[in-house]
Amino acid sequence: MDRRHFLKVSSIAGAGIILSKEIAAMEKLSARSSLVIATGSSPADITRAAIEEFGGISKFISRGDYVVIKPNMAWDREPKYASNTNPEVVAAVVGLCLKAGAKKVDVFDRTVNSAKRCYVQSGIAGAAEAAGATVSYIDDRKFQDIDLKGKALQKWPLYSDIFKADKVINIPIAKDHGIARLTMSMKNWMGVMGGRRDRIHQKLDQSLVDLAFAIKPTLTILDAVRILTDNGPQGGDLKDVKRLDTVIVGTDQVAIDSYGATLFDIKGSDLGYVRLAAEAGLGEMDLSRLDIRKISL
Amino acid sequence: MRILRKTTQGIFLLLFIFLFIQTESTGVDELGYPVKFFLDFDPLILITTFLASHSLEKGFYLSLSVILMTLIFGRIFCGWVCPFGTIHNMVGALKRHKGAEAQRGAGSLFRVKYFVLLFLLGSSLFTLQLAGVMDPIALLIRSFSISIYPAFNYMTRAFFDTVYEMDPKGLVDLSETAYTGLKGSVLAFKQPYFKQAGFIGLIFIIIIALNLYQKRFWCRNLCPLGALLGLLSKYSILKREVSEGCNECGVCSKVCQSDARPNEKGHWVSTECLYCWDCDDVCPQKAVSFGFNNNAGQGTPDLGRRRVLTSIGAGVVAVPLLRTTPLSASDILSPELIRPPGALAEKKFLERCIKCGECMKVCITNGLQPTFLEAGLEGIWSPILIPQTGYCEYRCTLCGQVCPTGAIKKLPLEEKVNIKIGLANINKSRCLPYAHATQCIVCEEVCPTPKKAIWFEYVKVNSRELGEFHIQQPKVDLKLCIGCGICEKMCPVVGTPAITVTSTGESRSDNNQMIL
Repeated sequence: MDRRHFLKVSSIAGAGIILSKEIAAMEKLSARSSLVIATGSSPADITRAAIEEFGGISKFISRGDYVVIKPNMAWDREPKYASNTNPEVVAAVVGLCLKAGAKKVDVFDRTVNSAKRCYVQSGIAGAAEAAGATVSYIDDRKFQDIDLKGKALQKWPLYSDIFKADKVINIPIAKDHGIARLTMSMKNWMGVMGGRRDRIHQKLDQSLVDLAFAIKPTLTILDAVRILTDNGPQGGDLKDVKRLDTVIVGTDQVAIDSYGATLFDIKGSDLGYVRLAAEAGLGEMDLSRLDIRKISL
Repeated sequence: MRILRKTTQGIFLLLFIFLFIQTESTGVDELGYPVKFFLDFDPLILITTFLASHSLEKGFYLSLSVILMTLIFGRIFCGWVCPFGTIHNMVGALKRHKGAEAQRGAGSLFRVKYFVLLFLLGSSLFTLQLAGVMDPIALLIRSFSISIYPAFNYMTRAFFDTVYEMDPKGLVDLSETAYTGLKGSVLAFKQPYFKQAGFIGLIFIIIIALNLYQKRFWCRNLCPLGALLGLLSKYSILKREVSEGCNECGVCSKVCQSDARPNEKGHWVSTECLYCWDCDDVCPQKAVSFGFNNNAGQGTPDLGRRRVLTSIGAGVVAVPLLRTTPLSASDILSPELIRPPGALAEKKFLERCIKCGECMKVCITNGLQPTFLEAGLEGIWSPILIPQTGYCEYRCTLCGQVCPTGAIKKLPLEEKVNIKIGLANINKSRCLPYAHATQCIVCEEVCPTPKKAIWFEYVKVNSRELGEFHIQQPKVDLKLCIGCGICEKMCPVVGTPAITVTSTGESRSDNNQMIL
């Protein structure tokens, strides 16, 4: 091989390498910043359809994975009040994970009301167990101090199963909140915080960003089958519940929360934590830069 | 017969423990089988509740069956059924009682229980309900709820936590499996903590330790239910007889669990006999028999008319003595005396509450605690909600479901959520948005009423770091607040919370109110 030939080949190869990296990066970007929004009357069906449209569960869950699913079941309320994640959505995801070969699917939340009542009354414990998940109550021994190195939160005890799991799936519900305005995927991580977590409300937006940087969910599914528009996050009045029959699937928590805000007729940038998270590079807040696919059943 | 009796006793004790453990939330609204079942069969509670409050809960008619049973078979409840009696038997068996010891106390101590009974009847006749302090079933449930069961939980958890932390090779999986099994069966869902756990536990331990001095000391000498059944037993059909074959060897008196004087022909005391049949079992001459046609002479305990009158009189006098406290002067009580939702007005409540502690056992947040003197001596060990220990769970109605006497009404959920047990007050000199220009919405977030009783005013504040800015300051809507105390429990201003609940405004009182 002469020198000229070598240069030619190597430059082509180099370009190829650079190009393939570029393509990969672009692909990655598009995966990060795309959302699937599914609507339809059956919560389980739209959940399955949305995940299928997003690339299918096997893109995210591998055979033998230990999966943790974190719904919001913090309140002693029945599903119709939209205070907790829809149990059918949770059960559908559990079913998909097991079908994809997950060896164990754990479902838990650190509740605000009495744990037993929350687990049972939310309907999640029953539905998830029936779908094959292990529904466990919080075991205080499993909280470990994690160095978050954040601007608001430095060190905080978090539930270690979140870090032991091979894959983590966040399934929040979209609802009203007194200080965050709305609670969706990023705020759902309060459910893995130990200690006197109520203190974080003093610097809530920054705390949520610090927290979200520490936890890397494989997949986020925002439940908007019913949304709670007032008296959140606990609710209790059916007048405050709006039925949207929608789920939103994505991997970018910021994008999901930004889109979620539009369900309440505000913008993602109206939410302090979404703005801070976008600025810090956690995800994409600008909906015009997202690839949003809508399906309806 | 002894094996049959012990088996029966064992079954009832296990049933008691099973029902006791069942007296815990499963997450659904209705409880399966609370341990009040045993109190439903308790005629002492039936009679004193009826005398004190002139009302009866439906379940108590079951106790008529115990009265009937006693009129036929004598104090068989004490010998065969009572779970507390069985515990006395078990503790008594720890020590080998020599003959002389068995005889000990055959003097006059056994009369004390009749005086206790008469005292309780005397006071309840004048609306003072103190029976629960001494009633064996109420005492047992209270001691278990507040002291023994929490201690058992603590010990078990400490053991498994230690193994978990030490992490000996391969053992943790095993111990955690066992732990999970225990958690799903005999352990409480959450470690319970109670005020006076040590005190109430100590009383219980002293009572059962008295068995080492004399077998069944409590049953022979102190138990008012035993006394009541003893008096009924005098008229029972089933009687003990000793045939001519008796050679007065005295073996029967050594096994006797009471002061029934089985070895004294014609002086056997049916009121004291627990009908355990042990004297029949051990008699070498086979001279002892229990039968429905026995008309053998029997002794009756001589209580003495003066002592009887004094006991009743003491019970009567106790009424004004305990009631001449400022607490009785008006129905405005101490502000921290927050009663469970559905509790009757204080006077009526105290006429019924038997301090069994079931409401405290079942309370899902551990918020219901035994009083000491907050409700006067009369109300000792009655339930008080301490919000900082545990708030009243909005959609939970369990305390009313387990209350055996209706002191706490059983309320449907729709009614319960509208009962005010007090009102919340904000302390502006501690509350973060007021005192420290720091945002905090925790009380509002956790407020459970459908339209939140805590609302915000958007107010301009000034802070050293940030200068002037706007902040949400919480306010309590007194019309909506039900006093559940979750705001006090969750308030980040720990120690002395910036929002606290007092009983002022409680639905059950006409005068403990502040707004029109």
